[in-house]
Amino acid sequence: MRHLRWLLVPILVVPLGWLLFTGFGRDPREVASPLIGQPAPEWTLSTLDGDLLSTDDLAGRPYVVNFWASWCIPACVDEHPVLAAAHDRHGDAMTMVGVLYQDTTADAEAFLARYGDAGYPHLVDPDGRLAIDFGVTGPPETFFVDADGIIRDKQFGPLTDALMDERLASIGFDR
Amino acid sequence: MPLIPGIGHTAVLVGLGLTVYAVTAFVLAARSADPRLAASGRRAVIGSFGAAAVGCAAMMISLLTHDFSVLYVAENNASTTPAFISAISLWAALEGSILFWTLLATGWAALVLHRHRDRHRALMTWVGATLATVNAFFFAVMVWPGNPFTLTSPVTAEGSGPNALLQNHPFMALHPPLLYLGYTGLAVPFAFGVAALITKRLDEEWLRIVRRWTLIPWIFLTLGITAGAWWSYEVLGWGGYWAWDPVENAALLPWLTATAFIHSSMVAERRGGLRIWSSALVIATFVLTLVGTFLTRSGVVASVHSFTQSSIGPWFLTAILIALAGALTLLVWRLPELIGGGRPSGTVSRESAFLLNNVLFLGLTFAVLFGTLLPLLVAATSGDTISVGAPWFNTVTVPMFIALLFLMGVGPALPWGTAGWVTVRERFTIPLLAAVLVTAAALAVGLRSWGPLGTLGLAVFVAGIMVDEVVRGARARARSRDEDPATAVWRLTTRNRRRYGGYTVHVGVLVMAVAVAISSGLAIDRTVTVSPGETATIGAYEITHRRLVVEPLEFDAQVIETRAELTYSGPQSGELGTALRDYPNSPTAIATPAVRTSLGEDLYVTLLASDPATGAVTLHLFVNPFVVWIWIGGAIVGIGSAFAIWPERHARRVEVEQRQAMGAASAEGA
Repeated sequence: MRHLRWLLVPILVVPLGWLLFTGFGRDPREVASPLIGQPAPEWTLSTLDGDLLSTDDLAGRPYVVNFWASWCIPACVDEHPVLAAAHDRHGDAMTMVGVLYQDTTADAEAFLARYGDAGYPHLVDPDGRLAIDFGVTGPPETFFVDADGIIRDKQFGPLTDALMDERLASIGFDR
Repeated sequence: MPLIPGIGHTAVLVGLGLTVYAVTAFVLAARSADPRLAASGRRAVIGSFGAAAVGCAAMMISLLTHDFSVLYVAENNASTTPAFISAISLWAALEGSILFWTLLATGWAALVLHRHRDRHRALMTWVGATLATVNAFFFAVMVWPGNPFTLTSPVTAEGSGPNALLQNHPFMALHPPLLYLGYTGLAVPFAFGVAALITKRLDEEWLRIVRRWTLIPWIFLTLGITAGAWWSYEVLGWGGYWAWDPVENAALLPWLTATAFIHSSMVAERRGGLRIWSSALVIATFVLTLVGTFLTRSGVVASVHSFTQSSIGPWFLTAILIALAGALTLLVWRLPELIGGGRPSGTVSRESAFLLNNVLFLGLTFAVLFGTLLPLLVAATSGDTISVGAPWFNTVTVPMFIALLFLMGVGPALPWGTAGWVTVRERFTIPLLAAVLVTAAALAVGLRSWGPLGTLGLAVFVAGIMVDEVVRGARARARSRDEDPATAVWRLTTRNRRRYGGYTVHVGVLVMAVAVAISSGLAIDRTVTVSPGETATIGAYEITHRRLVVEPLEFDAQVIETRAELTYSGPQSGELGTALRDYPNSPTAIATPAVRTSLGEDLYVTLLASDPATGAVTLHLFVNPFVVWIWIGGAIVGIGSAFAIWPERHARRVEVEQRQAMGAASAEGA
């Protein structure tokens, strides 16, 4: 009986440790998007190169929409190579689309010149209409749309290679 | 590596080396009783304070010179950032705040060890070892997962600018340092607790030292929490000052247990009881400061305070678990020797009031902890996302706070030991009458809301008890020593600073309680949309919209301000501008509410939306009565506690005399 008091230590320490530990790996600010499972918004916008691009051009192919900005340091800088790598790997089966989020075309071009332009299109969203349609709260945010035009997954914050693979799996790309 | 960040990083490494050395030296000193080892450990701790100071200076220089080769500077500064904002950016984000934190923590450690250098040798060795261990942890965090001097490559030409919220109000210069001083200082009582458990010296002397070293950080924590509420009120634009945000709660939790300790230690000191309890409270307080830091810094819970996710979370979690498990093990180990020693007391006595006080403080701690961690628990077990809102916290905590308020008056008026019915009647009649009278007067004046009325009545009752006691004491003194009333009051209170300082703190709390009850019970607000030239009314105020202005800020052209210029008339009158500011690095516009403060009420106006085409604006108008008294109450608490810990003149004289006597004795011996 005298040694029962020692149980006090694990009784207090283990549950607290477990509870706080479960907090890791979750981003509490991540808001489950009500858009998941819904059709992606339709759009027609001009790209940085001056061409017009619209959802109709992408029909029948999965695509990834990445909202970013040149001022979003370091998150957008960090995920930039991840996006480029995914474009290199799967670019023939899906389309990667960047969208400027509250940014000027000049700054965005300077960013691409500096960190590398992987060659996928970047949309200019002058009044932020597309960001509003997607419910973007801040860059970077990335949406994964399947071949039927349904949003299947969303990344809040920067993507890593592992996260990219996980999200891409939702639109039919095996790891 | 560039020079300044290089110096900073080296200082951090040196700091780690010195603290690790100090731990070793103190542990060896405890075994060998060689005073030179302890002295060398103490010097290493003082050196680690110097190292942290050099590190902070290096970071400060990097920020002020906009040295974007340092990642922290690139992420939290821009070449256009004003010097003042650059300077306070030291604690704007994770790595810098840990550096600043370490400066304060090593500062406390150096101060404590220096101050008690010649006394309590056995105890101080373990105090030093504990504090150096805690500080070594913070240096290690800066060497590995949270290096503040990480360099960028390639170096960016322009940084992303400081946190928009930080830029918006000078209060950010005040509120985090005060809180950090409180947080870091609470490691000192913990270290004394650990040392006492190891050396088996949980006696009255220990309690006196620890009480003082708890009160000082407690003052900073109290002021920090109040300043944080004030900042939230002046900056965030939602019209309130306390939202039960997880990080506010994280600051409140150690405050609650520290307050409980300050009270329980009095019983332990006077009557012998509650000793295990008191040492458990200092341990809990420190662990809760770590939990608070963990919640703030790891991004585990959502809050306006969360910094970006980082890899320091696991480090902090490990530290929390080691501190908790280690201290608990010590406590359980010493448990059989600590039990007993208390003298029996009656049901109605000051001891029972203190006991109930502690039960309530602990109840509050559990309630707030439960509400803060529940979302984590639910997410961990069912995967659902829930949030525990202000209504839940209010429902659960308000009754306990009211009970504490009641005890605050009753407790000090009851005698130690046992109270007879006569004492109770004699001490409570006049205050009770005063409370009834004031409540009736407030009712007659038109106050019809139960919460504010009840709180006011209770506050008058409690204040009445205290005033009654001071008057009795001063009158007795004036009569027996033939002093005039003012001198009698001054001498009475300065002869027993702890008691009357404590009363002053209680008065401050009463003022805050009444102000909180009135401001939350009687505030009015409405949302209006007005075009230029139109007038809206709220309460006794008329607010006229003059024009809408959209322009860059004078001192920072990158920031675009959309401002409604208004005139107001009523109890106060004049002009005001309330704005939304668009910072280039913030996705949402930052509100800049206009607050017009008077002793009776605040007029508080925020801009919600505007139409540049027509100049029409949507405003959220508040009339918040009595809010300024919350801050005044906070200041009274600060003054009262400073009064309480001020060295008594009598004690100082005794100390001087003792020294002289010792000097004379040693002269005779020679």
